[in-house]
This record gives sequence, structure tokens and C-alpha cells, in this order.
Amino acid sequence: MAVRLPFVAAARARMAAWVRRRQGEDALPVTLTRRRLYILPTRAGVAFGLLWLLMLLAGLNYGNSLALFLTFLLAGFALVAMHECHRNLLGATLVAVSAPPMFARGAGALSLSFENAARSARPGVQAALDGGPLASVDLPPQGRARLELPLAAARRGILRIERLRLTSAHPFGLFRTWTWVHLDVEVLVYPQPAGSLARPIASGSHPGAHPHGSLGGDEWLGLKPFRDGDSPRQVAWKAYARGAPLLVKEYVATGSDLSLLDFAQVPLPDPEARLAQLARWVVDAEGGGERYGLKLPGTELAPNRGPEHRHRCLAALALHGIDDPAPASAPRAGARPLHAHA
Amino acid sequence: MPTREDDRSLGWAAAALGGGMLLHVDRVPAWVSAAALILLVWRLAATRARVHLPGAFARVLLAVLVAIAVLVRFHTLNGLAAGTALLILMASLKLLETWRRRDRMVLVGAGLFLLLAACLDRQSLLRAPLYLAEAWLCCAALAVVATDGFPGRAALALAGRTLLYALPLAVLLFVFFPRFAGSFWSLPRGDEAVTGLADTMSPGSIGELTTSYDIAFRARFEGALPPPQQRYWRGPVLHDFDGATWRRGVGARGAPWEFSGPAYRYHIALEPSHHRWWFALDTPAQSPDPAVLLTPDYELLAARPVADQTDYEALSYTGARAAEPLSDWEQLENTHLPGERNPRSRALAHELRARAGSDAAFVAAALEFLRSGGFVYSLEPEKLGPEQIDDFLFRTRTGFCGHYASAFTVLMRAAGVPARVVTGYLGGEWNPVGGYLVVRQSDAHAWVEVWLAGSGWRRVDPTAVVAPERLTRGLIDLMPEALSVQTRLLHGAPWLLGLLQRWDAANGWWNERVVKFDYGTQINLLERLGFRSADAWVLGWAFAAALLGWLALIAWQMQSATGRGQRPDPLARAYAALCRKLGRSGLARAPHQGPVDYGAALAAAHPALAGEARTLLAHYAQLRYGVENPATHARQVEAFARTVRRLRLA
Repeated sequence: MAVRLPFVAAARARMAAWVRRRQGEDALPVTLTRRRLYILPTRAGVAFGLLWLLMLLAGLNYGNSLALFLTFLLAGFALVAMHECHRNLLGATLVAVSAPPMFARGAGALSLSFENAARSARPGVQAALDGGPLASVDLPPQGRARLELPLAAARRGILRIERLRLTSAHPFGLFRTWTWVHLDVEVLVYPQPAGSLARPIASGSHPGAHPHGSLGGDEWLGLKPFRDGDSPRQVAWKAYARGAPLLVKEYVATGSDLSLLDFAQVPLPDPEARLAQLARWVVDAEGGGERYGLKLPGTELAPNRGPEHRHRCLAALALHGIDDPAPASAPRAGARPLHAHA
Repeated sequence: MPTREDDRSLGWAAAALGGGMLLHVDRVPAWVSAAALILLVWRLAATRARVHLPGAFARVLLAVLVAIAVLVRFHTLNGLAAGTALLILMASLKLLETWRRRDRMVLVGAGLFLLLAACLDRQSLLRAPLYLAEAWLCCAALAVVATDGFPGRAALALAGRTLLYALPLAVLLFVFFPRFAGSFWSLPRGDEAVTGLADTMSPGSIGELTTSYDIAFRARFEGALPPPQQRYWRGPVLHDFDGATWRRGVGARGAPWEFSGPAYRYHIALEPSHHRWWFALDTPAQSPDPAVLLTPDYELLAARPVADQTDYEALSYTGARAAEPLSDWEQLENTHLPGERNPRSRALAHELRARAGSDAAFVAAALEFLRSGGFVYSLEPEKLGPEQIDDFLFRTRTGFCGHYASAFTVLMRAAGVPARVVTGYLGGEWNPVGGYLVVRQSDAHAWVEVWLAGSGWRRVDPTAVVAPERLTRGLIDLMPEALSVQTRLLHGAPWLLGLLQRWDAANGWWNERVVKFDYGTQINLLERLGFRSADAWVLGWAFAAALLGWLALIAWQMQSATGRGQRPDPLARAYAALCRKLGRSGLARAPHQGPVDYGAALAAAHPALAGEARTLLAHYAQLRYGVENPATHARQVEAFARTVRRLRLA
């Protein structure tokens, strides 16, 4: 991928568009079938081919049977290697793709889960985003494995990943088989926390601070559906035993410090800088175990705390001013936020 | 910064390269191997300890030095020997700058190329397994280099399996790939040690005859074997004697002979000798090859030295006579003796001839002189003085075939009877496994031909008079001390001898069927397979068909080897079909949804479907998770599958 000629780039883009049209949009789980697997020799494979040609010429020239036999054995070897390379991806399944929200200019990861139904292992299965580095994983026989691809985003907003490349050069590095998976994966990119202004503390002074009025200890808020990551200690097991779905008891902490973070009140001229400062405050407040609320033009989040609240606040900051979530294509920059606030 | 994984993969690449070098270790100069070893150790030490590797400048300097050293030693960079040495040294230097995956791949490639050079150099059956092992090692190294963290054992297994799959194709290609006759280019061959019969003979200057157990040729007869006393294999005929050395004559034109007696047709597989002589049973009636001249002395002289195994069909008659008398020139040449040397021998010859009355009786008398004169057959004779023949006949009386042939010819010539020395081989060991005679270098022999008016050139073997057993038994039986200790030990045990014969038969098969497989053999084979007028086109088509067949077979074999873990059971298949059908309504089952959840979701989205869909989904849940009655379960599943098949959604 070292070639950067404009003509090559254009050819690549047209190729990508053609493949996209040919394969169509994918829906998980994606099983890698023959129709979508491509295979070509690698550079090492081409070099091997040239070496092989030289060997063939030498063998024919001298009429040397052993040299010819060796050459033919290597020819068979390369052909079987091609089959084996193709087979290494054929039938593997990409079952899940997920990416937790990340901060702009921070490290994120796209997590890919693979399933291998075959009786043989699939070593050296690799994945990459367009133009990104390859990450590698070995799929055990009849098992699953996960692969994390590093993500980077320059700006807050939604990072849209439209195309993934799954590839493998296993076993001999002479051929590389690959496929493109077209998924619409959206990764939420929080603003990068920045700024050094002091956080406005309004301990207990704001009327929104006591929505449920109780002082001291955690107050029971109600029940919400169970989600991955919820603590089993908070599950309403008794209700579950009675036949109800899995529910989680929600509490709200009371009695601690409370901040109300208001976009309009941040004394910074640049809206992006304000969002960054707000993000910093949210992260700090959550880290300090405090309660905090967020007020953005058109959005208001009541004071609260906890991972879910933090996410809601940061998501509101991330999407502030971005109101058109319609997809757009970005063939070369798989890791560019498309709806960043400019 | 190289990781441990890089080091491991470097180790494998270096092993592949080292294996290739080992195949040449007895052929390249010792300093080449030593230099390669030093570079290898240097590079591997750098992975473990803090050993510095040379910089870019030093590496270029080393490369130039290496090229110069090879040039000085071989006077060329071209040619198999020089090219191999250069490749070994350059690949070892490449080791010093091996950091990335690509560099390690280059090392493996060099290992493969060294393997090819070894194949070009030597094709013996003994080395074939070594070559196969090196190919295997290279392929496994490729796997380790290509996939990070791929375990070596698994790589060996994988490479072995892949080569095994590749083997049928290799055999097919070997048989069907069109072999073009002729060469595109030729590399000069290295100067190899010359073995085999020379075309001069100086018995007097030899203190000890070294014999070799190497095979000269194998002979397979179509009919009966010639009796042992007729197994003289004719080689160079020597006319010129300067008192110490016999040489070939200037090549007089002799008249053709008339052949009689039984005809022997046989096949000879001649081992490379780097001489131009081909051998045939005394006396060959025709040249076996257009490139081989049947000389007036009935020698077979090829246009080029025998560099590779050579096969030919020969025809010989054991009875032959010259049709015309000797020309004056031949008479002169075959009675010539140098100067006035060996007076006692001359006197003896004159005396014997005078008493005998005829040339034939003179021959008998001379033989009788040797038989009764206390002569001893020995491979370690004393060296002879300047009057060689006198010294031998009257003092040492100890010698081998060369001495007797030489002395006898001198006696004949001294009395004016035309005589000449013929060299070649005598005898041959019968190999019952392969059904052929093996003639070894140790069977080399020299005898005499005497011209008798009326019957032409007649073979006389003076050695047979001194050591009659030499006719029927090989030199090895006769003079075991002439062989090296190992060979003698091998020969001592009968079971080992049987084993040796088997091995030799296998070698014969290998040389005939594998090493010498060429365009001609290919066409013959195809014709035997039923292709009438087999030519390159048929060859091409047969080859293409075979290739396709193999590809299909491999694909099928791999498919079944990987396969799916288990085939989904009938219930799962019916459920999948049901979900597909329901999914067409626009609401596909999400991966996390079970049958009951999905039914609920469907009912909410498409109330019209609700009844049927929920019933079927609940039925599935019941069949799958409910209490199972083994007696009826299969039938119920079948019924469910049928219902699903018939399901038509509005």
C-alpha cells in the first residue's frame, strides 16, 4: 500500500465502489463465502513465482529430472498453498462488530468477534480499516475469538466505519486472500476533554438538585431493563423469580457536591473549546464521584452521576450541533468523523 | 527492534538456508563452508548476546571480497560450482542484514535455490531423501516466517501435508510436462575428478594399483548371458609402446571384420566417467549411437566425454575374424618395439619362436613360459627398472594384468608376431534382484590381441594363465585386500551383499526411470498408455486434463478436511427455514431473539401473521427445549419441518 500515485488512488476508489455494488450492504453475522473472497499472490508470492520460473528453465535446460521434479513439487506446493490460504477465511463468520464511544484524539478500538465453525483452526486472520494497520488473531477450531482494531478520530461527532478488510496470508505468505465487509458502524466520538477553567460548584443550591427530595444515603429511583455491564447485585432477582424480565434497581446518589454545567455559561469564545471544557468537567466530576447536570442549547440533563449519566452527558456534547445523521461516503478515510461540527 | 518472534522466525529461515548449504558441503571449497558457518554463528549470536553486526559499508566491502575470492578460486562466476559457492557466501552475508519478514523470505528462497543447484549437481537415489527433507524444511520455514507466532511443529505438519497434496501434481507434471530437447544455455561444468579407464597404460611405474568399488556400467542382456570366460568388455586398444607406457596408435584404417558365433543384444547403463569411451562386450558389431564412432580397432569412441548416466543398446558377437590380411602399415605398427631395450626378453622370444614352428604354437609356448615360470598375481608389485620387461620377466615376476599384457605383447612383437594391448573390463557381478551384470572399476583389465594369419586378431589373456580364477571371479573375491576396509567388510557378509544388490537394483531403477526420463521416454510412455501418435499436443492436453483433475481433487479433499463442525440437525434446519420465511415479512429475527421473543415482536409488527407465526415458533420452542419423548420426537420434528415447508405467508 506504499503506492500513492493519484491514478492508483482513483483506480482503488473505483474498485472499492465496484466491490460495494457487487457485494451490497452486509448485515451481521457475515459469513465469508466464496463469492466475496478475493485472492492474489503477495509480493513474496510473485518473487517465488519468478524463482520458480528460473528453476523450471534450469531444469529443462539441463534435462535434469530431479531439478524438474523439485520444480513441479514446488508448483503443486504453491497451488495447494493458494487453496489453503483461501480456505483460511472461507466459512469464517464475523459475528459482531462493536466500538465503545471514544474521545477525539484519544485511543479507541473497534472490536470484531469471529466465529469459526470448522474443525480446523484458522491462524493469522487479519483485519484492517482502509489505510489502517493490520491486526491479527488466531481463530481456534469451533470457537470464537476477538480482534481489536485501533481507532483514531480527530474530531468529535460520529465516526462512521463503512468498510472493513478481512484478510489472511496464512499459511505460507505466498498468497493473500481478502474480503471487504460493508457495515454501517457508528462510533460516537466524545469531544476531547480540554481546558483548565474551574468547575462551577453549586452545592445543593440548584433546585434541580433534589428531584426526589431525600437527604443522606442513596435513594431508590426505580427499575430499568437489564443491560450488559449492570452489576448483578443490583438485579431485582425477586421480581425475576416471579416471572418478570431482568430488571435492575436504580439508585441515585444524594448528598454529595453538585455541579450544573451550562454551555452558555462557559467563558470561552469558541464553541468547540466550550464543549471541550464541558467534557473535561464531566470527566472530572464523574471521577470525583460528584453529581452533575448538563445544559446545552436545546438539551438539558438533570444532575445525576454514574457511567450511564456520564455517557449521556458526553454524548450530548459529542452530538451538539450535529443534527443530520444521514450517512455519507468517505472512501479513503475510514476513520474520519463525518459529521464533525466545523 | 526485533522481537523474540522475529528471532525465532530468523532461526527457521537460517535453518532452511543452512540445510541448502549442507547439501553442498562436500563439493564447495572448505573455506566457503567455513565462511558461511562463521557468518551464520555471527548473526545468530547477535540475536542473543550483544554482538555487533557490520554496518552497510562493511557489508558491501565483504560482498565484493567474497566475489573476488570466488573469482580467484574458480576463475569465473559462471558455472555450477562457482555459482553455488557465490550463492552460499552471498546468502550468508544476507543473513547479516536480515531484519524484516521480507529478508527472511529471501533466505528461504536462497535455501530453495541451493537445493536446485544440488539437484543439478548430483541426482543419486541416496541423495533424493535429503533433497526432499530440505524442500520440507524450506516450506515449513516459509510458514513460520509468514505467520507470526506459528509454532514450528505445526509448520512442519502443515508443510508436510501441503507437499503431500502437491506430490500427485508433481508426478503428473513430471510425466506429462513437455520436455524440450536441447539446451537454452549451458553452464560450464566444474572440473571433476576423472574416474574410469584411461587410454594409456604404464604398469611398470605403478607401485600399487588402487581399485575402486565404483560402478563402471550395468549390462542387461535380452537373452542368455555370455559365459564368464567371454565377458571381456572392450575398451581402448593400445598400439604404441615407448618402453614404459602403452598408448593408442595413430588410428590406422583396418579392414572390417566378419562376425560369427552367438549374437548378444544388451542394454548398457554407463556411469559418468568423463572419458569418451563407451564399452561393449568384445566385439561390438555396430555403433550404438550416431555420436559414437566405432573405430577400426572396434573401440567405441564418443564425441563427448560421458558426463551423465548414458544408456545404449549394443550388439556384439563373441566370434569375429578379420576378412583381409593386415596391411603393411598395420603390420609395422603392431610389431614395433622401441630401440634395443629388453635384450633378454627379445632373446627369449626368438628362442621360443624358433622352437615353436608356428605363430599359434609360439603363443602357446609363451603362455606356458608364464604359467611355469613362477609368476605371481599381485596388486602391489615392485616398481620396475628401466629395462621394464626384462626386469619383470626375469626378476620380479610379480604383477597384475597390465604387467602380463605388456610383457606378452612385447614377447610377441620381438618375434615379429603382430600384437597389441586391449584394455577394458573383465567379468561383472550378477545382480539377481535387478537381473543385470554390474561391472565395477575394480574389474578393469588388460589383455592382448595377437594376429594369427588366417584367423585374424585373436584374444589372448596372459593374466588368465597366471591367475585362472580371475576369469570367473571378480578381483574383489580374488584380492580382497585391494579394496578399502569398509568395502571389504560389506562384501564379507552374504546378507549385506544381498542388501547391496537390492540397493544397486533400486539405483538402477532410479537412474533408468527417474533420472533419465526425457522427451523420448515420455512419448513412449504415452504411446503405451494408448495415445496413438503422441506428440507435444497430446502431451499438452493430457497434462491439462491431469492438472484439472488434481485441482478438483485437492479442493474436494480440503473441503472435507475442514468441513463444518457438525451439520445442523433437522430441527435446526427447519427452524432456520421458518425464520427465513418469516423474515420476508420485513422483520427478521435479531440474533439475540429467541423463538418466543421473535414471535412477540412479529405479533406486534404484523398482527396478521401473529397467529400462525407464534404457533409455529412456540412449537419449535417446545420441540427444542421441552421434555422430549424419544419415541415420537423424530416424527414430530419431521412433521414440523413439513409444516414449515408448506407454510405460505400472505
